[in-house]
Amino acid sequence: MLGPSLAAWALFVFVPLGLAAYESLFAWDMLTDPVYVGGANYAAIAESGELGRILGRTLGFSVLVVSGSMALGLGLALLLDRPGRFFAFVRGAIFSAYVVSWVAVALLWVLLLDPDRGVAAALLRAFGLPRVGFLTDPHAALVTLAAVTIWKITGYAMVVFLAGLRSVPQSLHEAASLDGAGPIARFRWVTWPLLKPTAAFVATTSLIVSFQAFDVVRIMTGGGPARATTLFVYAIYEQVFMNLSVGRASALAVVYFLVLCVLAAAQLRAWRSQTVGRRA
Amino acid sequence: MSLSRRSFALGASLAAVGGVAGCKRAVRDDKGRIRLRLWFSLGGRNREVLLEIVKRFHATQDEIHVEPVYQGDYFESLAKLRTAIAAKAAPALSHVVAEVVPYLARASTLEPLDGYPGMKEIPFVAALAQSGGFRGGGERPLYGIPLNRSTPLMYCNGDIFAKEGLRPPTTWKDLVDTAKTLTRPGTRWGHEVPISWWFWVALVGQAGGVVFDEAGRATLGDEAGVRALRLWQDLVHRDKAMRPPPGRDYDAWNVVNQDFLGGRAAFIWTSTAYIRYLEDNAKFPVVAAPLPRDVRASVPTGGTFFVVVKQAPDEEKVAAARFLRFFCEAEQAAYLSTRTGYLPITTPAAAKMRADGFFAKHPNDDVAQAQLAHVDPWPWEPLLFRIERDIVDPRLEEAVLLDRDASSVLAEARALAARPG
Repeated sequence: MLGPSLAAWALFVFVPLGLAAYESLFAWDMLTDPVYVGGANYAAIAESGELGRILGRTLGFSVLVVSGSMALGLGLALLLDRPGRFFAFVRGAIFSAYVVSWVAVALLWVLLLDPDRGVAAALLRAFGLPRVGFLTDPHAALVTLAAVTIWKITGYAMVVFLAGLRSVPQSLHEAASLDGAGPIARFRWVTWPLLKPTAAFVATTSLIVSFQAFDVVRIMTGGGPARATTLFVYAIYEQVFMNLSVGRASALAVVYFLVLCVLAAAQLRAWRSQTVGRRA
Repeated sequence: MSLSRRSFALGASLAAVGGVAGCKRAVRDDKGRIRLRLWFSLGGRNREVLLEIVKRFHATQDEIHVEPVYQGDYFESLAKLRTAIAAKAAPALSHVVAEVVPYLARASTLEPLDGYPGMKEIPFVAALAQSGGFRGGGERPLYGIPLNRSTPLMYCNGDIFAKEGLRPPTTWKDLVDTAKTLTRPGTRWGHEVPISWWFWVALVGQAGGVVFDEAGRATLGDEAGVRALRLWQDLVHRDKAMRPPPGRDYDAWNVVNQDFLGGRAAFIWTSTAYIRYLEDNAKFPVVAAPLPRDVRASVPTGGTFFVVVKQAPDEEKVAAARFLRFFCEAEQAAYLSTRTGYLPITTPAAAKMRADGFFAKHPNDDVAQAQLAHVDPWPWEPLLFRIERDIVDPRLEEAVLLDRDASSVLAEARALAARPG
């Protein structure tokens, strides 16, 4: 029974991974003969500090996206978990951003954030605030991309949290209320413990989205300004297609895979400890 | 240790593409004409002009049918071309930025064109052709046929300069003083230029440096490179008279053009390719001027060369050579130049434009022509493009935006250039 799926995994995951690891040991541009360079590609990206910077940027971006989308998703779910057409409309409106393509979202936000002609610039001017280069200031660009990503995926987090909230038995809330618990205490001691598996799921999916970020970078900043938004996947793309270096791109891909392995292991560990805790 | 490309590629992840490439390529269409696939990366008016020339070519004969396909900007198009070559599915004809020609030639992917009838006899303007556009370019097989060739040029807002009683700057000191004089904080920048390799190379040349020495070492201008970078840093951070335009590659170029047209920049550097565009869209007189000199005058060339892909079927390569000869005829070369601002690529085309009174009527084009006397050729260096894209360009942006020490930024770039992966 496992045969077909194992074959698919081997073909589309393990073989490409193995090839990437192999190619990372060569200097190769796809057109000339590859030259074996051992670990030189790894040394080059590590020594130049490029690897550390890309890793730091990607992790920072992930922290912003995961925490932002979870906090906003949960907040909106709590706020909008009410009957009525109005709330249904608002929930639908917020979720709609999630189903729009990344390209459309990115292009829309490029226009909105234009430092001279965008809506954001007009608002800043109206309030007498200084001009902000949302996508052009190296200190602001990564945060801006994270904010756009949060805007796009929060609807999804909200819907998952809404499903989680509705699975919390009403009787527990009623019992807690009878015991004198207020809304905050009920959330702290009833809702949140039962929402933890949902939160872990949202965290995992947000983390995946943030680590896969490519379209938003490609369209909104092209990795700039001053490489401030060159995240892992974009860096790999840039190395292989723009800088003609398959070897270095493969080295980055291997490191990327290892980082994902570490994160997945940490996530798995967290899940397991939670499951064991609940069973105990 | 070196593996053959074939054996390496066998294991590579191109299997799927290889399957497609394995399909038989239809050289002729259903009317029996040779299908000449042409990948291009020109937009707007440049695209219209290219397609018009293709149309004219079709009107002269019915044996070859050119199939032009737009492939995105220069860099996207190059990425696709390389991938297609690796997958053995490339078109016979494409065009690439000048700096890529030595790299593609070294990879044995380009067809030498000397042997095709009439190709060696085309009277190119040397500075814009392979022979004069590259150091030692004339001693190598002919790989590149100039398509749209340009140099950087300075454009001044005629109204602003007239109002202030100023003339276009002719030296670096003039440039700084003029930029400071014309800056109005919050409303107008004195000067604007894309923070990009091409313009930095112009500055390096003007400061008396070269990016590659005769021995093929990437010197990146040594001290001249540092001076060039510091000029920008000072204009941006100390003098506050220059805006580093946001965006990468052609996004930044577009911002510069729009700021100039909108009166938000008094004088800019951009390509001669935009002469017509800026003249047609400005609400003020556009005055072109040569780039200012430091210790000497210098400009690099830009734009693209047509290249014929070696692995294409012979019939298609012959068709490509025939189309290129047509393209280089004075009528077509002059048409492209007069409609866009790209420089005429052959001497008969330039002579025709002068005889027709074009330069008298369009003095900005004449300035661009005169500046050709100061062209510094590119080195014939296969690593040139990678050093430009991977190492220098991003560091220029970092150094200017974040005001990093120019000397150490370029020292780091030189060290990396010595061992690109």
